[in-house]
Amino acid sequence: MKKSLIVLLTVFSMATVHFSSPEEIKEDMPRFEQPLLITSAGQSADVQIAGVLAKRAGLTSTLSKGATEKDLANIKTLVLVIGVSMKGLGAAGLDVNQETERVKGLIDAAHGHNTPLLCLHLGGEARRGTLTDQMITSFLPFAQMAIVVKSGNTDGLFTRICEEKNIPLLEAERTADAVELLLQVFKLDQLNPE
Amino acid sequence: MNKKRIYLDKKILLSFFIAVFFFSLSSCQPKQVKIPEPPADRHQPHDYIGKKGMVVAAHPLAVQAGLEVLKKGGNAIDAAIASAFALNAAEPFASGIGGGGFMVLFLAQENRVTVINFREKAPAQAHPSMFLENGKVKNDWRKAHGLAVAVPGALAGWSYALKKYGTMQLAEVMGRSIQIAEQGFPVSKTFSQINKDEYEKILLNAGATSPYLNQGLPYEPGDTFQNPDLALTLRHIISQGWQDYYKGEIAQRIVEAVQNKGGVITLADLSQYSPTEQPPLKGTYKEHTLYSIQPPGSGGLHIIQLLNITEHWPVKSWGFNSPEYIHHMGEALRFVFADRARYLGDPDFVTVPVEDLTSKKYAAQIAQKIIPDRLQDDYPYGRFDENLMEEENTTHLSVIDEQGNIVSLTQSINDFFGSGIVPDGTGFLLNNHMADFSPQPDSINAPNPYRRPVSSMGPLICFKEGKPFLILGSPGGTRIFPSLTQIIINIIEFGMSLDQAIEAPRFYTYSAQGKARNLFMESRIPPESVRSLEQIGHIIEIRDAFDKFFGGAQGIMVLPKKKILLGGADSRRDGSGAGY
Repeated sequence: MKKSLIVLLTVFSMATVHFSSPEEIKEDMPRFEQPLLITSAGQSADVQIAGVLAKRAGLTSTLSKGATEKDLANIKTLVLVIGVSMKGLGAAGLDVNQETERVKGLIDAAHGHNTPLLCLHLGGEARRGTLTDQMITSFLPFAQMAIVVKSGNTDGLFTRICEEKNIPLLEAERTADAVELLLQVFKLDQLNPE
Repeated sequence: MNKKRIYLDKKILLSFFIAVFFFSLSSCQPKQVKIPEPPADRHQPHDYIGKKGMVVAAHPLAVQAGLEVLKKGGNAIDAAIASAFALNAAEPFASGIGGGGFMVLFLAQENRVTVINFREKAPAQAHPSMFLENGKVKNDWRKAHGLAVAVPGALAGWSYALKKYGTMQLAEVMGRSIQIAEQGFPVSKTFSQINKDEYEKILLNAGATSPYLNQGLPYEPGDTFQNPDLALTLRHIISQGWQDYYKGEIAQRIVEAVQNKGGVITLADLSQYSPTEQPPLKGTYKEHTLYSIQPPGSGGLHIIQLLNITEHWPVKSWGFNSPEYIHHMGEALRFVFADRARYLGDPDFVTVPVEDLTSKKYAAQIAQKIIPDRLQDDYPYGRFDENLMEEENTTHLSVIDEQGNIVSLTQSINDFFGSGIVPDGTGFLLNNHMADFSPQPDSINAPNPYRRPVSSMGPLICFKEGKPFLILGSPGGTRIFPSLTQIIINIIEFGMSLDQAIEAPRFYTYSAQGKARNLFMESRIPPESVRSLEQIGHIIEIRDAFDKFFGGAQGIMVLPKKKILLGGADSRRDGSGAGY
């Protein structure tokens, strides 16, 4: 009985995630491979959340909040967790301009290495604001795919940019649901090796 | 016809008895306190109204706890302590029994103001260079480490206040907080955001299974937050007495938790802790008299300094948030911050020239130095610790009862979620107030055994024509006194209502090492003011429209002629109020 309930709940939660996504996982979508380098754009603690989600998804990853080009060695996917925290920037001894320059440099380097970029926005509505929006506008267009927690996209900013740039966008109802999306994104890759 | 009439009469009688029965049943139930709904747009100014008593605090459940006590006949002190306990359950990331604070009391019958200082103290093994590693300040660990924890004072302070000035027993004022912890409540956007912001620290120190995470991840808005461990701890305090926290099983758990994370607090440190009662610090602004706390709380002192300086300026004719007003106030803040770094420490151990700093003569000297159309080249050299910048933390509650007794209470565990350390099975967070000491060994505010670190708190009671007029306080780290000063000026000079004054856009700046630092402003400040300020040399940093960086003020205004109490609660956090 308990087992069937768990199965039922799992199926239900997977279905919820599936139906909440504006894009379905399609075979022609970009494929991401492991290992991942997870870094922040804005130094919010959301990058730590991404690290935990990746771990839960069983992905091989390295987390470096202040990653630079040298951290890209042997990396197959760059994961950029967008979200500005003034507190996080302060703790890292950075201002917004310095952080923007670092991320720009990293994205350029990833492009040079042919390393695809996966953008995450996990902080929901609370992690939006002038500075975060600047980062979204600056960096999301370079992504091959984006995963966002739905409440962070109520104004459709992610949808707009992704549609313009033809970037597949996946939405999770809750932060924890992003694990399922990560699993799907990377499983697709395993099922369809290049 | 008669039969029908009798039948109808019986029916009416029966309905009456049923109504009476249900009414009596409902009146036997504990009555839910009705808290008026604020406007749908929570940033829209909204003054809560009361006639007899009022509670304003950072969470509606804490307001409810205090108001229930007032309605049961408790006085303002009983209600304030009930709210303080309730905040530990409902807003656990900002204050609680693992922290400390200050309260300003007005005792109506004695017509006397007094202050209870329950600020944390450094442990016996603290020393001036404890935050240095190879001669350098180690900011990366000093706030989330066992060494960050100072000996908590909240429970001792609340118990002292209740015993001396309250009318109820601890158990009577703790009921609601236990209920909140056991039954839980829906997590707000504010709670969720702060939980996410502090995720790394919580994961590191409290662990993935802590009640402060939801299955290892931060809480989302709408999730239910319960803390059964805290409920058990509170019940334990009722059964064993509050002294158990300092000398018994809870004390043992605190020591173990702190020492496991590299800290140095001992059972002796806890057992030696005691709050102190002090006279208030007094200042004036025009026809108003203001009472706040003495150092090591710096908020009151700096508010008095800023108001003294403001007396020299025609702020009313300059206009609210005009470039002239912001520039002059900004410059005054930079001088005040320089003083703070030079002079502020624990007066039990160092000399703080309180009288000089709060004198009208000294304020006149500062006002004279301020140049209307440019920044100073240099401010007196200070050692202001810039790493304190991003603290938003802390909480404030204001209470007034029917007799006119008042409590203005600010308390904290320092950073949101404090040190992140939760003593095993207790459900409460320990503070990281050792980080309020300067890490520089030669600072007047360097850590030393049993010292209290300088705080920015400034709970206050303002009197007009000898009668209480305004009860006010705020969290917000070093924005506390700049924000409170702006609120007072908004009311007195710009004629705003209490909540208008609280919600109005704020600014903040400071000086460090003798130089001006950026001018932070909420984005609602008019662009023309921003441009003018940039033209005279300010470097502007625009923050969100309602940014909790600038604090979360809670206040009560007393209008004796109208026999009305107005409450203002800050929408930058989850502030709420209720009166009756």
